[in-house]
Amino acid sequence: MSYLDLTIKEIHEALVARLVTPIELVKEALERAKANTDNAFEIILEQEALAQAAMLLEPEVDNMLWGIPYVAKDNFSTKDIPTTGGSNILTGYVPLFDATVITRLKEKHAILIGKTTLDELAMGGTGKSGHKGKTFNPYDKTKQRMIGGSSSGSAAAVCAGIVPFALGSDTGDSVRKPASYAGLVGMKPTWGRISRYGLFPFAPSLDHVGFLTRSAYDAALVLNALAKSDKYDATCSDTPAIDYTNSINQPIAGKRIAIIEEIVKSKHRPEVIKAFEAIVEQLKNDGAIVTIVKFRRDLLEAIFPIYITISCAEATSNAANLDGIKFGPATWGTTYEDAMRNARTAGFSELIKRRFVIGSYALLRENQEVLFLRAQKGRRLIVEELNKIYQDHDLILAPAAPSIAPKFEDKTDQLSDEYLIADNHLVLGNFGGFPGVTLPLGKLNDMPFGIHVMGRPFEEGLVLAASQAIENHTGLRNMIAPKEVNL
Amino acid sequence: MKTISKDILKKAASKLLFDMTEAQYALLEDEFGTLLSQMDLIGKIPDIDSVAPMTFPFDTGNAFMREDVPEAPALVSDILKNAGHVEDDQIKLPKVVG
Repeated sequence: MSYLDLTIKEIHEALVARLVTPIELVKEALERAKANTDNAFEIILEQEALAQAAMLLEPEVDNMLWGIPYVAKDNFSTKDIPTTGGSNILTGYVPLFDATVITRLKEKHAILIGKTTLDELAMGGTGKSGHKGKTFNPYDKTKQRMIGGSSSGSAAAVCAGIVPFALGSDTGDSVRKPASYAGLVGMKPTWGRISRYGLFPFAPSLDHVGFLTRSAYDAALVLNALAKSDKYDATCSDTPAIDYTNSINQPIAGKRIAIIEEIVKSKHRPEVIKAFEAIVEQLKNDGAIVTIVKFRRDLLEAIFPIYITISCAEATSNAANLDGIKFGPATWGTTYEDAMRNARTAGFSELIKRRFVIGSYALLRENQEVLFLRAQKGRRLIVEELNKIYQDHDLILAPAAPSIAPKFEDKTDQLSDEYLIADNHLVLGNFGGFPGVTLPLGKLNDMPFGIHVMGRPFEEGLVLAASQAIENHTGLRNMIAPKEVNL
Repeated sequence: MKTISKDILKKAASKLLFDMTEAQYALLEDEFGTLLSQMDLIGKIPDIDSVAPMTFPFDTGNAFMREDVPEAPALVSDILKNAGHVEDDQIKLPKVVG
């Protein structure tokens, strides 16, 4: 047994008892990172991590992240460390400052051992569009199944037991969907709960900082470290944070849980629904009051088109500064516009260009009213419906994904219920800024699948409490992909 | 339902200052067939125009007048490290006039 295979809480106890040291943990994490074959890393920070670990000599009993190795998605700015966003348009870019979340973790003496792969500029959900190619699911040693995205490398690193937690970002479901495919706890708190200063923006009205852990309690620990207001981010809330390791222990007896019938009835694997229904019964036995509620089907079918329209439109503006002049590939041209065009033509992949064109198309003067503004109106109608549910319920529960991680070459009918609703409903949390957690629900063919818990804004404590109750029932805590599998 | 053509896509891409190949435009035009069908689902929502567009989930209430506290700006030499073409402590661009 390695201490690195434990949860943050357990590793902390070992550090305090001096059974292991930060330098020993970091050395082992680095070895595992270097041996990883899932394409999880943009860069491994060996010298930096070892230097930081060497300075940590006296365990801090009250600081649960002291000496804990972690990784960050490569769209968080890290001072003096190359940061690419998974795109060639940022080749060679070295930020001059740390993202606030990186600063917070430094202050806690957590140790960043690497930056992880992602879909290019976080604009994807497959983990195959980044400039370093496909990131693989550690549970599938045949390298056929995705881990999802866009926080693909972060999920792979935690799933493979390289680190016990990782930073990610979530604009549609980019933390919570990979969590489902990787047997992890993936949390996206309330919009504004965690500072986004230094996170490369994709679609700011939807972007959230999130993180991946291997237990609900560890998620509470990480949230404790990150949930603070930030003078550098005007969209970061000054709502006081609480101690989530306390609130996670509140009983769920008497709590009102809604299940949206149309989501559960959209196409899922029968095994997923069976496991979901079983956990619902157990929550009822715990005293939770569970109700099946209806949701307008026309709104649910519009989730994905609303998301793709808003996110791509916002992305076109946010990527306007990626010109290859101030940073990025040093191309040249006869005019400055030529220089920018050459940089952007070479720097963006084909897929990301197509996404940008979708956004630009929605923003064309003749399309704005019918496409972009109507998408924003549809978003409001959806959030209003959700808020009606939250008037009578504390939580909304759903399967996190239709099935286990798909194969890279799998095709889905993009006008089917499975795609429009079952595969995309997690974005409801981004539309309304609601806190959400995905956690393991079961396994099928040795591949994990998850369940999603969503609450009212700033009620992360209750979301985590329900997550811990589910975790207690499933027993699926601290899941790590097998190191060896017979093919 | 909106219609699409390669010329419209080229116009949208041109605004974004990048080029695509003819094969890439052909693929994109094909993809837009599905995409416009999906977008059409938004237009079919009967009360879609009964509400105002939603631009953010909610106000975070974090707008305030901060104290004026002097901070050291980034050094020019550090900023220029990320630029590919530099001359005389400035970022160099192709000549615009003259």
